[in-house]
Amino acid sequence: MTAQGVVAQGVKRRFGAVEAVRGIDLTAAPGEVTALVGPNGAGKTTLLLVLATLLVPDAGQVTVAGFDPVTQADEVRARMGWAPDVFGLYDNLTCREYLVFCGEAMQMAATKARTRATELLEVASLTEQADQPVHTLSRGQKQRLGLARALVHEPEVLILDEPASGLDPRSRVDLRVLLRRLASAGTAVLVSSHLLGDLEELADRVVFVDRGTTVGEHRIDQLPTNAAPRPWRLRSLDVPVLLAALQRTGYDHDAPTPAGVDVRLTGDEAAAALIAGLVRDGVPVVSCHPLGGQLEATYLELTQ
Amino acid sequence: MTARGIRVVARQEFTIRIRAGRWRWLLGVWFVLLLLVTALLKLSVDNIDTGDAQNKGVVVYGGLTLLVLGLALLVVPTLGAQSVNGDRERGTLATLQVTRLTAGDIALGKFVAAWGTSLAFLVLMLPLVGYCMFLGGVPLLRVLAVTGVLALLLGTVAALALCLSSLLARTTTSGVLAYLVVFALTIGTLVLFGLGAALTRENYTQVTTCPTEQQLIEQGVPEADRPSIVQSCAASSSFQSSRTRTDRIWWLLAPNPFVVLADAAPQLPPETAAEKSTRLANEARGISRTNLRQADPLGALGRTVRRLRSKPNSDGLLEAVLVGKGHKAVWPWGLGFDVALGAGALWLTARRLRTPSRDLPRGQRVA
Repeated sequence: MTAQGVVAQGVKRRFGAVEAVRGIDLTAAPGEVTALVGPNGAGKTTLLLVLATLLVPDAGQVTVAGFDPVTQADEVRARMGWAPDVFGLYDNLTCREYLVFCGEAMQMAATKARTRATELLEVASLTEQADQPVHTLSRGQKQRLGLARALVHEPEVLILDEPASGLDPRSRVDLRVLLRRLASAGTAVLVSSHLLGDLEELADRVVFVDRGTTVGEHRIDQLPTNAAPRPWRLRSLDVPVLLAALQRTGYDHDAPTPAGVDVRLTGDEAAAALIAGLVRDGVPVVSCHPLGGQLEATYLELTQ
Repeated sequence: MTARGIRVVARQEFTIRIRAGRWRWLLGVWFVLLLLVTALLKLSVDNIDTGDAQNKGVVVYGGLTLLVLGLALLVVPTLGAQSVNGDRERGTLATLQVTRLTAGDIALGKFVAAWGTSLAFLVLMLPLVGYCMFLGGVPLLRVLAVTGVLALLLGTVAALALCLSSLLARTTTSGVLAYLVVFALTIGTLVLFGLGAALTRENYTQVTTCPTEQQLIEQGVPEADRPSIVQSCAASSSFQSSRTRTDRIWWLLAPNPFVVLADAAPQLPPETAAEKSTRLANEARGISRTNLRQADPLGALGRTVRRLRSKPNSDGLLEAVLVGKGHKAVWPWGLGFDVALGAGALWLTARRLRTPSRDLPRGQRVA
């Protein structure tokens, strides 16, 4: 019995002189959302293309839903859904026609494909737009239709490349809810994204990649706490007084913005000490909070 | 690869094509053009003083089919030349490749759609073909053969265009190259044949032997003339001459779609006894009239290329003429070559669509 979900070990792929992926390890277990995080050009999309049975890796072992995407591509395709970072939709079809076509391309009978299309339009909240041509959809609606396409055959493994880019906040929340629901139903979900704030609430695990290699793989609730200074934002009723107090006590701060004044602090203790000092000096402090989540901090540290 | 998979892709492609283009306009313009040409051909045939007015349809039909082939060769390359790389650019190809459709399904489905669209242009020609048959002289067998060969030729061009779109990353490049391929098949074969013909020029010695008394009798020379002929030809003479051996390079011309079409058209049925007696009676009275049967464009072109294929004998004359045998057909070779070319192109297209892929052409994205 081979492992289910996605297992990739030592994956390498070069395009001519460019070594896009030079040794990525990654696992995505069923029932979990795994985030793939890294800077542009880190090799995320290339890796996902390998997993999606589109590219042959130069080296490494890969299984998707228990099958080898190179030698058993059809078995993988029957169990894997993939949504690329481009929409890849046919502008002149209606949403419903498109989903029926995708179902038939997955070897569904015509009637089955039609009922499945109706279900998916519901899931993607596109019922109202069902019989509109795709080119009239908004960006978010297209994104949802692309996701619905990937779900057409109820895949065990779902691979999404930047599914949330360009979505409005409402759509991003909806996407998060949908992916969590799929994961709790047992799907292995693998998502690449730059929206770290979203991922923090969505993912169970996170895999950091940089320059074609895996640089960290963590459960999201067990991210390493680091000792490097992070930005904290202070807000005060009286900014000049705050700035004067900061200068007096020797804190390095950025130029004030309407959002507040940022200072670099190492750890929660330092923040507590700063607030205590400011309050003692009579500075009217309103708030003090760390900028960016733990995920962002880890990301910035791992991908310098 | 399954029939079902091909059908799913083809239906999809058809729907998109129909919705994307202004087909009603395009097909309308096409039909009006064919109508105009037919009318002009009919007018010019009417102006010829013919001895066989019952064959008017032959000339109109021949002109119409050759023109349809020419126009279709201008239209068909565009139908397939952006099919694969256009889908790549829009990102729709990869989403098709990760379904359970095989590379063969996708390639053949796209081909069926491109070919099917090109056949729509042929279907529009059929009412005018019916009119030609009404004008007279066009046998049904010829119509069936010509329509079939036209369809196969359009399929070949569609397959070649599709193949180019799978080989090249840019839609403009594949579009231009598709036209160059059509150019190579039509003008290119002609130019190569012309250049090749010059290379096959050879000198040969033609020997004239004096006819014997017996030969003169056989040729029906009157007895009174025989002595003078025998006298004037004192001895066998030989002289140097040169000729082109087109029988060695006729195959350069064979893939030309016009040659294939014209030569594949079955020759007209032989003159009936009534037609022949009318013609002979006219000739006897010194009336020379154009014979539409001889003016048949398809037949004339077919006869020309068959003659080019024939070997000369030692006298420099065409063997087939002397022996009295019909010339050998050129079209089976040409059509065979063209269809094989198209089939090869489809095979290559399917290969290029196979995923997961190992190497990509420069500048091509997977998705």
